[in-house]
Amino acid sequence: MGTKKKKKIEWINILAPFVVLAIIVVILEVLAKSGKVAEYVLPAPSKVVAGTIKSFGRAILPDFLFSIKIILIGFISATILGLLLAAVFSQFSIVAKATSPVIIWLVITPMITLVPLVLLWLGNDPNVRVIIVILQASPIICLNTLTGLTTIETEKKELARSVGATRFQAFIKINFMNAMPQVFTGIKLGCIFSIIGSISADFVAKTIGMGNKIIQFTKYVQTDLAYGSILLVALLGIGMYMLIEAIEKKVVIWRK
Amino acid sequence: MAKNDKLILSHITKSFSDGKNQLDVIKDFTHTVKEQESVVILGPSGCGKSTLLKIAGGIIDASSGEIILNGVNYKTQIPKEALKTFGFVFQTSNLLHWRTVAGNLLFTLEVMRLKGKEWTDRVDEILDIVGLLQYKEVFPHELSGGMKQRVAVARALVHNPEILILDQSFGALDAITRKMLSFEVLKIHQATNKTMLMVTNNVPEAVLLASRVLVLSNKPTEIVKEISVDIPFEERVPEIYADSRFLEYCSEINSVIRDNM
Repeated sequence: MGTKKKKKIEWINILAPFVVLAIIVVILEVLAKSGKVAEYVLPAPSKVVAGTIKSFGRAILPDFLFSIKIILIGFISATILGLLLAAVFSQFSIVAKATSPVIIWLVITPMITLVPLVLLWLGNDPNVRVIIVILQASPIICLNTLTGLTTIETEKKELARSVGATRFQAFIKINFMNAMPQVFTGIKLGCIFSIIGSISADFVAKTIGMGNKIIQFTKYVQTDLAYGSILLVALLGIGMYMLIEAIEKKVVIWRK
Repeated sequence: MAKNDKLILSHITKSFSDGKNQLDVIKDFTHTVKEQESVVILGPSGCGKSTLLKIAGGIIDASSGEIILNGVNYKTQIPKEALKTFGFVFQTSNLLHWRTVAGNLLFTLEVMRLKGKEWTDRVDEILDIVGLLQYKEVFPHELSGGMKQRVAVARALVHNPEILILDQSFGALDAITRKMLSFEVLKIHQATNKTMLMVTNNVPEAVLLASRVLVLSNKPTEIVKEISVDIPFEERVPEIYADSRFLEYCSEINSVIRDNM
């Protein structure tokens, strides 16, 4: 394939999502301005953006910064914890088998159902929400990494043995590198789960955070700001996800 | 034990058990590989040829018997520190797809802690021998099947082992590439005089590369026939396939295989 054609396809791939987004925005704008839908149900996207920018510094910024703090600290801690647990579990198949149901249980249980209990145990300090984010994100990171670390071809193990690799050498040079695609899948899912965990905790604990703001704005029929807050949380998530994906593209440059 | 005995497999048995039943794959196998010779093993599919090579190469242990390498009796398994003696080429290229061609060779050197300019130069030297020096920074997914297998051969040779073991390493390749690689291995054997132990399912390939051919029986494995191939290595050129001596050896081996099916 020619370089020109390749570049054209790359541009189409970049532009396509923006075109879809633009179409959605236009449809929503037309629908909202047609008067067929009440403004408190669906404000026009232009009003959402304008209202959010206007109120951002005064009404949203402190909660937004708080949520960013909780999400980032929680996500980084969950990544470290998830990777470490997977590394330990992978070394002992009995431990991996014994803990798998618990990890799966933590992955599939909506954290919002556990938040009241966690807050009851740990108190109402808003920073405790980091624990909720860790509990929400680390199991999925651990589960994916563990799958990657334990599903390795017999020939790769034999290769390690044939050159006399120690257990540590085999883990670092073969198992971990072999698991890298699954590790990144886990981290990307962990990023999404961190945001869900943080907003869930805000919904229950209230007082501060973007989840709390969404509830407040909805309660006082400031729908444009509620939508704006949802948009900000989504943008934060997309930004984090794209950053991880960019790192993945730099690290995982091979194909099987 | 003679002075030039390189590897002795003495009364080797390998059994696998599923808890209730025990399956003897190899039973009381004894054979000596001499220094610088090339022993090629032929046998029916599933007879335990690969298992035998993995025991010989220290990848798996034997259930009983003795493995004597360079005069040292290691009992049923060769320890890690003695594995530098071997270079193992697997059935598939078994390359680490996250490493470049050079990176795959460096993997062996890193694990064996062979450091320094001498060894990094060795990577280039070996890649040059297998004709892949210009591909040293390329990832395995960008290579053809034959090129991958050449990298696998280079990786097995990079630490300068005394014994090269090839486990049906060209089986997955097309006929032309397979023939070409066989001649490359032959060239390497002639140039380095390394002891070679190889399993194949291709009779002409066995005759081309062997100083001795062992034909094995079905499970439990035993040697049915041992044939010395008395064609000087320097005469083993592409035209050898039409040579009457070569064809005679092929026909003899084929008839032994037929009689033992």
